[in-house]
Amino acid sequence: MAAVTGTRRRGAPPTREAGKARSSRPPGASREERAGWLLTLPFLLLFGVFTAWPVIQSVFFSVTDITNRDLRTPFQVNFVAFEQYAKAFGDPVFRKAALNTAYFVLVGVPLTMTIALAAAIALNTGITRFRAVYRLGFYTPVITSIVAVAVVWRFLLNPDSGLVNTVLAWVGIDGPNWLGSTTWAMPSLIAMATWRNFGTAMIIFLAGLQAVPQQLHEAAAIDGANAWQRFRNVTVPVLRPTILFVSVTTAIGYLQFFEEPFVMTQGGPLNSTISASMYTYQQFSFGNYGYAAALSYLIFLVIAIVTALQFRFLSEKED
Amino acid sequence: MRRTTLLVALTTTTALALTGCGRDDGGAGDAGAPQTGEAVSTDDLSGELEVWAMGAEGEALPDLVAGFEEQYPEVSINVTPVPWDSAHDKFVNSITAGTTPDVAMIGTTWMGEFAGMDALDPTPGSIDTSKFFEGAQGTIEVEGTSYGVPWYVETRMVYYRTDIASEAGYDEVPTDQEGFKEMAAAMQEQEGVDWGISLQPGQTGSWQTVVPFAWSRGAQIATEDAYTLDTPETVAAVDYFGSFFDEEISDANPPEGQTEATFTDGSVPMFVSGPWMMSLVEDFAAEGGEEDFGSMYDVAPIPTADGGESSSFIGGSNLGVFADTENRDAAWALVDWLTQPETQVEWYDMTSALPSVQAAWDDEALTEDEKLAKFGEQLTTAQAPPSFPTWEQVAAAFDAEMEKVAKQDLSGEEAVQTAQQQAESIGTGQ
Repeated sequence: MAAVTGTRRRGAPPTREAGKARSSRPPGASREERAGWLLTLPFLLLFGVFTAWPVIQSVFFSVTDITNRDLRTPFQVNFVAFEQYAKAFGDPVFRKAALNTAYFVLVGVPLTMTIALAAAIALNTGITRFRAVYRLGFYTPVITSIVAVAVVWRFLLNPDSGLVNTVLAWVGIDGPNWLGSTTWAMPSLIAMATWRNFGTAMIIFLAGLQAVPQQLHEAAAIDGANAWQRFRNVTVPVLRPTILFVSVTTAIGYLQFFEEPFVMTQGGPLNSTISASMYTYQQFSFGNYGYAAALSYLIFLVIAIVTALQFRFLSEKED
Repeated sequence: MRRTTLLVALTTTTALALTGCGRDDGGAGDAGAPQTGEAVSTDDLSGELEVWAMGAEGEALPDLVAGFEEQYPEVSINVTPVPWDSAHDKFVNSITAGTTPDVAMIGTTWMGEFAGMDALDPTPGSIDTSKFFEGAQGTIEVEGTSYGVPWYVETRMVYYRTDIASEAGYDEVPTDQEGFKEMAAAMQEQEGVDWGISLQPGQTGSWQTVVPFAWSRGAQIATEDAYTLDTPETVAAVDYFGSFFDEEISDANPPEGQTEATFTDGSVPMFVSGPWMMSLVEDFAAEGGEEDFGSMYDVAPIPTADGGESSSFIGGSNLGVFADTENRDAAWALVDWLTQPETQVEWYDMTSALPSVQAAWDDEALTEDEKLAKFGEQLTTAQAPPSFPTWEQVAAAFDAEMEKVAKQDLSGEEAVQTAQQQAESIGTGQ
């Protein structure tokens, strides 16, 4: 830490100049700098080997036709430029997977955020005496293993004996085969994902709500603002950075939609729940490394664009 | 061009770093590959062998190989059990990293892929490959060369409830496909029966249900160097498969994991599966107080059509020796020992894995069980899927089409056309 602040104070770029300029600097600063590098070295090494290098390598894979057959004979790998990327646009299964993912994000993100915010407000205003119990209850699905969650939801959604259809039968509705129907499989997964994930967003919203100054609320109340007006004009503006943060992280998570279809439906029935990440995973497991790498960069690109849009539209009113 | 060079340099560096050393024969070794590998010598065997095996086999194998170690005291064997879930990745990683074991159990559908990566040692001529079931032998041959040996086998038959069949007026299962469907429909008419037969409506592995119907009509789904999924025989078989769902003899959206339950309570009195289901349904029935369930059902061969020969799917596992082994003689000696009829019978006693060596089936342990003997009979004509490295991928495409046939009334013609197109664009990978 000391090394870093020391470098910054001098205002010199800390990296490339360091070696060259060493002689002209006081020896103490140089030692401090060297210590800084030494201390960050373990991280840099791990980062380089396990993060940076795989990223560089997968970018290269994405412009080659490499498959698992080439692993022992790397000289046969061909450079194919953007052919793998172009292939994705003509691939009907990937198109279906992309549409499913868009469906999931467009319905799932607003739904998750609305429920999370509602739950956070309810807990914050203290309409219940058992706040801690509810907070724990809402957060439990987040920390529960997806496999355990899947087993329970499969019981709930069982067309013959599941709780959901049993309850529907009480009111005279003949419930569908949730996971076996092309229409209902996706809504089922969205419901499950929302239930599983809103706890994270709720905790962050709760922290944001607790940071809203009570005096503002009181002042607004004295001016005659009702509850909705206070929420609209006091809470939301203060909460805006929190909303931005939650929407970005939730959208990124949902664009990588993978676990729910993987454990619940394997992408079926008839590819109605296959997601872009899951299809990418399948291509990797078939050994089509080049194509799979290209697909993951397409997903990366979409995430980058969506995130940029969110920053553009959710943060502009702040200044 | 410069970019290509850079690319090659980059990938090569990694590959070299991963494999530790390059192999001089590159990928061109296929053309000159021998039909069988060099002979091995079993004199003075010594050294250590690293063996990988999956699932229950991995757990039971150390006890079995103690017999081999007794015979060759200088050899010590270290068995590493590998979980099935991660086995494929573990093998691919070890092949790229050059850290393969000496001997390993290999899934039958991985042979083409691993052989394509030059990872496996061709079977030496000293091992007599004619002693195995023909279908099982087919799973180890890649482009005419044998890599490893079949270790144990399984095949699929029709399970049916004899009591419900006789109520429906059937003492035997018809051997022709049309008659078979009529029987399923007639059984569905009986009281307490919801569906005539349980057939897997698409999704992973459903080709193992559909392709045997095609084989039993005389179809071939591949030649030596191409997929032929769109033959008239296969079209007819897929239409036949689809008609079960069309005529609502089979459930297109069956609940998961209910096969034992619906078979024992009689609501679905037929299904197609492998020998392991015998103990599963009997144990399930016993738990429900039905001790004598073994006499209430039987197994029958896959029905045929157009004068075809009943031909089921052969599964199981193979044994391979990896090309990087430093103890090739001992490795092959172990493989040879594991496929001696006596060893195979002992292995059957330990794990219920069915012997791949035909001679082992003469043993009492296997002949005294009538149902098991029928599996032995079906094994003689059972077939293996193509051993192309891309088969798993093509199978997935085929399964996706089968799902449309079962659930969306897609015609057999359209389904196999699409599957064939995808197979052609995927290629055989050779």
